[in-house]
Parts: sequence; structure tokens; C-alpha cells
Amino acid sequence: MTLTKLVFKNITRRRGRFLFTLLGITIGIASFVTFMAMGGSLKDEIHRETAALGANLVVIPKGSCGYEQLSILTGDQMPTNISAAEIAGIRAIKGLTVVPFLAQQTAIANKPVTVSGIEPAATLAFKRWQIGQGAYFSKPDESGVVIGATAARQFNLKPGATVIVRGESLPVLGILGETGGRDDATLFLALPVAQRLFKSADKVSYAAIRVDDLARTDSYIEKIREATGLGVVSDKQMLKSVLGIVGSVNITLRLIAAVSVLAAAFGIINTMMAATYERKREIGILQALGARRRTIFLLFMLESGFYGIIGGVTGVITGLTTAVIVTPYISQNAFTSFVKGSGSGAAIDIKVVAGSILFSAVVAVVAGIYPAWRAARLTPVEAISYE
Amino acid sequence: MNNIIRTEHAAKSYKTGDITTHALKDVSLEIPQGSFTCIVGPSGHGKSTLMHLIGGLDRPTDGKVYIGDTEISRISNSDLARLRGKRVGFVFQFFNLMQGLTALENIEIAMMLAGIPEREQRGRAESLLALVGLAEKAGAKPGQLSGGQQQRVAIARALANDPDILLMDEPTGNLDSVAEAEVLDLLQTLHRQGKTVVIVTHSDEVAKRAERVIRVRDGLVAHGMFLPELCSI
Repeated sequence: MTLTKLVFKNITRRRGRFLFTLLGITIGIASFVTFMAMGGSLKDEIHRETAALGANLVVIPKGSCGYEQLSILTGDQMPTNISAAEIAGIRAIKGLTVVPFLAQQTAIANKPVTVSGIEPAATLAFKRWQIGQGAYFSKPDESGVVIGATAARQFNLKPGATVIVRGESLPVLGILGETGGRDDATLFLALPVAQRLFKSADKVSYAAIRVDDLARTDSYIEKIREATGLGVVSDKQMLKSVLGIVGSVNITLRLIAAVSVLAAAFGIINTMMAATYERKREIGILQALGARRRTIFLLFMLESGFYGIIGGVTGVITGLTTAVIVTPYISQNAFTSFVKGSGSGAAIDIKVVAGSILFSAVVAVVAGIYPAWRAARLTPVEAISYE
Repeated sequence: MNNIIRTEHAAKSYKTGDITTHALKDVSLEIPQGSFTCIVGPSGHGKSTLMHLIGGLDRPTDGKVYIGDTEISRISNSDLARLRGKRVGFVFQFFNLMQGLTALENIEIAMMLAGIPEREQRGRAESLLALVGLAEKAGAKPGQLSGGQQQRVAIARALANDPDILLMDEPTGNLDSVAEAEVLDLLQTLHRQGKTVVIVTHSDEVAKRAERVIRVRDGLVAHGMFLPELCSI
């Protein structure tokens, strides 16, 4: 017999209580892990999407906030306030490659899909896409759609099929090769077609810009502002701004998770207090057999810690499973729609796994201190005389 | 003969609010090593309190209690626990076995607490179960054993660390006459093997087997009544 074996036998003796207490900590840690994994996934996606955008600068309507910048990365619908004249004004500045985008949404089979109006040739060169199946736009105003690989799989679309956008039936021209980014889940239309269907006249939502000389980025920003009066952000500024938004969302999610972990901690306290009362006589027997106070304290602390470790492991497994399964089904939301369709699911980070189990064990041990102290301070006579 | 247990003017009182209860008053006694002693007396007169003091489960509020040469009121809680584990084996009326553990594991626990390595525990525990005639019940849990069998497991557990003293509180109080006789025979065997046996009891049958009887009444020891035939329980 060892203390560890005794602890295990003690906590599994009342199986119902053991399972319910374990369930409490499992749910608490699972929600913590789910939110952490989703938060980690969002961050990863933001970095990936910023890289996939391939722009050094992004031009957005003046007064746009971080949310619009986030929308560029999520493929969310955006206002169309930038005119063709303003785009032409930017293009007049030497050293810039400018690609405008019209960001809209439509529905296929009642599921929302991002629609992007593009200048076919300029965008192909800018994004360096590969064509997976079929063909690409052959002229700047060709009526038809080119689809990202994930969207094609999701809606089972092949070249030659038709897609209805805003009531108009459009042929599928081709399917892009995998990009690993948001483009995989997007329907691309030639810009004039998109402007016609979404009644945007000659306007676009934003423009992605690649500069020839990175050292002159600040000077380019200044020139664009002077020429158009539009808002300009660098990729780094956009990343910082969007990560800031996601960071505050993550903090909120973690606070919610912390509450459930706290509730689970009280569940452990409750269980351990009940065990202290129920096993008073046993504590007395152990004392009569030579158990020191520190042994009794350790016995209860180990029991509590066991709950934490087992609950941590089951919580991590449950949390990660939930994150992987549920995350791609999270419906349209600027913060969470990143993960949808991008194919990555939740981020499984070994630090999150180890940290969550450690966190669970620490919470359980802290929760066990008071009951263990109560048990250890019983005198042998008080404990053994307990009826 | 050396005295393995000795009290000098030992007293124990409990305070509940403003009320002080004197459970034991000025008790001085000696229990020789290797003796078979019964402590008898009416309920509520201090027998169990005396047992708790001489077993190191409690400390006197006044006076001194010695186990061997150690004055237990002067040592730390930790040392007192260690002393209980090594020198005293307790047996209680209601057996007090750990319900979730087998007979063998109940014995091993006492060894574990004394720091005996796990690999040594199993063999010793099996020998002790064989000693009390329950070798075949090693894997049985308390609920699967009769009262007499449970008490024999409790005795085996009390012997786990080869203590000098076996201290028992009504060890046959919950047994039928057959089981009582079996347990008493076992205790007499252990006594013959050199153990100091001290039993708190109400039972005539138990007291008749003792070499010495100490009578407790109103928290005091009735001196000069140390022979069983003089004892009126």
C-alpha cells in the first residue's frame, strides 16, 4: 500500500460523487481549453490571412476603424466607398502596385459565402494564384465565377456548373488551387460584374497595395493620403489593430472560462469538505495507526490534486475535441468566421495542453487546502469518537 | 517487572462553553510490560479517556503519562503519532476497518504509515492474517466478513508494526459469544508471546481472563483492586 494507492481508492470509492466532481472540473477546463484553442486559432489565422493578402499597404475609406480592417481579413461584407477615380489617383503614384477589391457576401444553398469583385489580371498577378481546374477569367468583365478550392468542395461545384448570385445565374469558369487562406472559401467575380450585381456603380471596398521600395512606405502612405484623402494602413498596423481586437475578445473568453473553472474549484471544495466529514472516523483510525497531521493533510491534498490532474486531462481532451469539431461550424461572426472554411480547425498548442492540466492541478490543490487543513487539525480522539 | 505504561496524577478535563467536565481526576497507575490488564467500570466514568491517554491518542490536562520512558505530554504531535504507530496497536469495538480496502490492505496501511516499504508489506500482512486464522480472507472487504472475522483483521492490523502494547476498547463488545471466545483466545496467545494487552471492557468474560483489573469510577482509579476476582464490574 502506498499513499497514492490509498488516495485513488478513496476518491473512487464513491463513484457517483467522483464522477460529478470530475465532470465539474472537466467542463471548467474544457471551456477554458476550447476558448484558448479558438483564440490561438484566430491569432494564427490573422497572421496567415495578412500574409496571404500579400499587401504592404491597404487603402480603406477614411474613418474606418479596426473592425473594417478585420473584415478585410475575414472576408466579411464591407461598405463600398472608394471610387474608381480615387483608385486611379493612387495608381498615378509611382512605385505602387494597386489591386482593388469589392467585398460582398451571397448565399449558396442557404449558406453564406464571401464574394470578391476583382480585376482579374491584376489580382492574378498580385496573388500569384494557380488554377486548379477549368479556366480563369479571359477578359476584365467576363460574366462568370472563379471559386476557391474549399468553397468548390463545400458546394460540390465544378467548372461548367452554375451559381446564382443576386438572382443571376453565372457559370463556374474555374477553381483555384489551394492557397491556404481565406481565398479558398471565396467566390471571385470580375469587378464590373460584381459592381453591377451589388449595385456599387464604380466603387470598391478597399485596395491592396504592394510597394516597390519598403524603405519608402511612410512616404507612400503620405502621398496616397494627399492624393485621395482615404485611410491607409500598413500590413503591420493592420495586424496590430486586428490582433488588438482579437486579444480583447480572447481576454473576455478567458474570463468566462475562468468563472467555470472557479465554479469547478468550489465543486472540489464541496466534495472534499463532505469527504472530511464522512471520513472523520477514518481520519481518527489513521491517526491511531500512526498517521501524522502532515500525512492526513497530504492525503486530502493528493485527493484534491488527483481531481485536478484527471479533470485537467479529461477537460483538455474534451475542450480540444469541442474546439476541433465545433469551431468550423461557428456561424458568421467577424471574430470566429476566420476558422470556418480555412481548413485549419482549432489550434492545438502543446503549451495550452500542458498549461491547462497544470492550471487544473493548481486550482484543485488550492481548492483542497481548506478541507485538508480541516481534516489535519482534527485530534485523534475527536475523530475516532465521531459517530 | 518493568512498567510499560505509567501515569502520575493524570487528569483530563473538557471545557464546553463555561462548563468544565472532569473526565479523569488524579489517576496514578502502572501497567507492567507483558501483563494482561482489563480496565473496567461503568459507562461514562472515564475508562475510554484513560485508554486514550495511555495510548497517546490524547494528552492529560494535568499530570504525566509515560509510555516506556517517554513522557507523552512533552513530545510533539508528530513524535506522538510516530510513537503510536510503532509501540501501540489499537483495536476498537466497531472494528474500524477501512471499508473500501481488503483485509490485507487494511493491515498494509498501518505498515505504510510506519514507513515500511511496499514490497515488504504484502508478506508481513499475509503472515499476520495467517496468525489470526484468516489467510484465506486476504482479498475480502470488511462487508464480506463476519464481526468476529473483522475484529481478527483489526487485531492483525494492530500487530502490523509489532507493537509492545495492544490497547483495546471493548474488542468483543460487538461479537457473539463464540466469536468473543475466539478473539479472547487469540489475545491470550498474543499475551503469552510477550505482548502487553490492555482491554477496556464491560464484559465479565473478558475481565476473567485478565491478570490484573483496574476499576475506574467517577474519573478515579479504585486502588487495591488489581485482581480480577476482586473486581465487581
